[in-house]
Amino acid sequence: MTEHENVAAPPAVVPAEPLLRSQRARRILARVPEWAVLVVVLGALIAFFSARSPYFFQTDNFINILIASAVVGIIACPTTMLLIAGQFDLSVGAGVALVTAMFATSFVGGDGAFLSVLLGLAVGVGIGALNGFLVTVVGVNALITTIGTLGAMRAFAYIRTDGQAIGFEGFTTLGIDRPFLNIPWMVWIFVLIVLITGFVMKQTTYGRALYAIGANPTAARLAGIRTRYVIFIGFVISGLAVGLTGLLVASQTGQGSGNAAIGLEFQAVTAVILGGASLAGGRGSIIGTILGVLVIGVINNGLVLLNVVSFWQDVVRNLLLIAAVAIDQLRLRLARE
Amino acid sequence: MSALLQARGVRKSFGGVEVLHGVDLDAAAGSVLALLGENGAGKSTLVKILAGDYTADAGEFVIDGLQYDHLNPITTRAAGIRMIHQEFQDAPTLTVGENISLGRLPTRRGVVHWREVRTRAERVLGQMGVDLDPDAPVGSLRIGERQIVEIARALSDEARVLILDEPTAALSQQEVDRLFEFLDRLRSQGAAIIYITHRLDEVHAISDRVQVLRDGSVAALGQTKEFDRRTLVQAMIGRSAGEVSRPARRSWQLGEKPVLELRNAGVERAFADVSLKVFPGEVVALYGQLGSGSAEVAEAVFGLRSLDAGEVRVDGKPAPARGPATSIGRGVGFVPADRKGEGILGVRPVAENVAAPSWRRLARFKVLVSRRSEAAAYRRWHDALSIRSRNDPLQAIATLSGGNQQKVVLARWLERGSPLLVMNEPTRGVDVGARAELYRSMRDLARQGIGMLVATSDYEEVVQVADRAVVMARGRAVAELDGGEITTQRLLTEAGG
Repeated sequence: MTEHENVAAPPAVVPAEPLLRSQRARRILARVPEWAVLVVVLGALIAFFSARSPYFFQTDNFINILIASAVVGIIACPTTMLLIAGQFDLSVGAGVALVTAMFATSFVGGDGAFLSVLLGLAVGVGIGALNGFLVTVVGVNALITTIGTLGAMRAFAYIRTDGQAIGFEGFTTLGIDRPFLNIPWMVWIFVLIVLITGFVMKQTTYGRALYAIGANPTAARLAGIRTRYVIFIGFVISGLAVGLTGLLVASQTGQGSGNAAIGLEFQAVTAVILGGASLAGGRGSIIGTILGVLVIGVINNGLVLLNVVSFWQDVVRNLLLIAAVAIDQLRLRLARE
Repeated sequence: MSALLQARGVRKSFGGVEVLHGVDLDAAAGSVLALLGENGAGKSTLVKILAGDYTADAGEFVIDGLQYDHLNPITTRAAGIRMIHQEFQDAPTLTVGENISLGRLPTRRGVVHWREVRTRAERVLGQMGVDLDPDAPVGSLRIGERQIVEIARALSDEARVLILDEPTAALSQQEVDRLFEFLDRLRSQGAAIIYITHRLDEVHAISDRVQVLRDGSVAALGQTKEFDRRTLVQAMIGRSAGEVSRPARRSWQLGEKPVLELRNAGVERAFADVSLKVFPGEVVALYGQLGSGSAEVAEAVFGLRSLDAGEVRVDGKPAPARGPATSIGRGVGFVPADRKGEGILGVRPVAENVAAPSWRRLARFKVLVSRRSEAAAYRRWHDALSIRSRNDPLQAIATLSGGNQQKVVLARWLERGSPLLVMNEPTRGVDVGARAELYRSMRDLARQGIGMLVATSDYEEVVQVADRAVVMARGRAVAELDGGEITTQRLLTEAGG
């Protein structure tokens, strides 16, 4: 009679009337993507800051917002892919710092831009492969793995630079030069990464496999998906983005430093969760993430223009992360009902 | 006969449905009572009431001459009633000694008295005549040994009434023999034992009296020696025996070469020496209770377990275990028992759930999948399997009923074109109506030349769907029934033997 064990007591609270009685209205609403609400939020924020500050609604300011969002945005794309598969990579910020350090020491040491760029990318991919190996082959939980590599990579960066910022000149293309429309390369690269990852997640078997693994890793494996291989590749992609971002940051700041990109992983995760990816896996989208990135970018920018002390930006951003996770939980609960 | 424990007129309802309709039970000192019944007959509910886990809606209880209106865990504990649950309730990371004293660790001046923990464990294990290290973590023991630790815990706690809920489901024959020796010794020391089992041979091996429950009432009661196997089965299934019907006679030819062949296959601690064939167009059931090895055979065929002996051949070619992806490539589809945990991609659309193993084929250049091709795959099977949904390929599969989810999982392998389907408890948690539809779908698939191996513990399922049935017990194939031989009576009799 064990099937009766789960018989629940009648609900103490009378369930509320369904918000939408008409089946058709529900069906239409079900088709509205989760990120639609972010478009509204973004519009409201833009309207709010435009009304409060004359400097906000300017082309140059929008370009500034994009520049400020590019680094987080590029990292947030592979973070989205991994989170959709139920995986985390928290080592991205430290990885970026190590890439800047490796690049700067190599570039200053006279290795030439080409070799130094290759080194930076290789370091990024190497970190990703290490994370992927530990998670899929050794079987260490992704959170623990990447917290561990986070600490180690940042320490390596300090060791490599002797704890100093290594400055250099003559490597401004990626981070500073503006090839057309007065928009710098890093923003164009950001756009390109968004397009590529968005395409991968929506249109390819690889993207489908990530969603399937996040929804139910065992079922995905039993349906013939080589789950460990797929996740390993996910970490390598994350590492590649780390390499690229490290080069952008180095170019933008003109230095390599162990202090680069502190907290980048949390900014990325905040944007991803805000964008509708579920901590439980199996849900999320690149476009949602990008809207999340832009919401954060607009808030940061607006608060600066309103002369709010920068520490308050940290408060807002972290509250936003909690709010995003809370919304995710609410959504899961609603989905269950 | 002096009844140590008496229950009279026990009633219990769950969610408005009465599952015990006024049941009596007597457990006498120095005697073993076997409690029998089908799944859902009310055995577990009854003993959980006796153990104080559930509260009865009505009933009177007399323990050792003292009368109770209702029992709770405190009164039953004080009265010396101990229950060994079907699922282990031990703490695997703690030692044997700690588990035996769990919840009542001896202390001295507020500190755990470890020497006493060990001597207590040694004393009770010694009484039972077993040699187990009190310092070994319970998680490192074999299943049978863990069972012994559970019993030792009950004994060291001065059990006077010992209730065992299907204790032998996961035990080897040797371990069962050992368990019966303990029970025998306990009985001679004056304990009252209530023993729930599915295995008819055990009834005669261990019990003095037998009580059969059916649909929440007592269907038979008496001295064990007054019953034989046939009368026990009769009492268990009652009128329902005639209600399950066989599928229509097969109108199609089976393929000539077997799509699956097992030759003396064995996996250590799970099953041994299993040989069987499945031909294209045939449904073969592997019938056996939990722990009989039937589920494990199914898993081995799908490559989730490596054989230690013998071989598996799929479509005539050797098929050693190389994981699911390889098995699928060989043409094997798998429907797992735990649909929610292992079968469906819950939050993903039904179309993706159908398409998953076929993505590479559906994709352009093996990489580019479109929603359209997935939707087409879904629609191909939606009507054929009469999947009841909104007919919306983007609907999340978790929003479908259990039976329809299972049809989507079936559709997954049809889309893949798998000539061999291996199913594990395909209708667990599926309601009766949907069950009949699934059986119809399975027969249809057989007509189209698909071979199916169905591991199940539901004998009615075997009767309704199988062309042939291999009966398993304790890791062995004990009988093979063909066509008209497949009856509930035969299945239960063979599995009990």
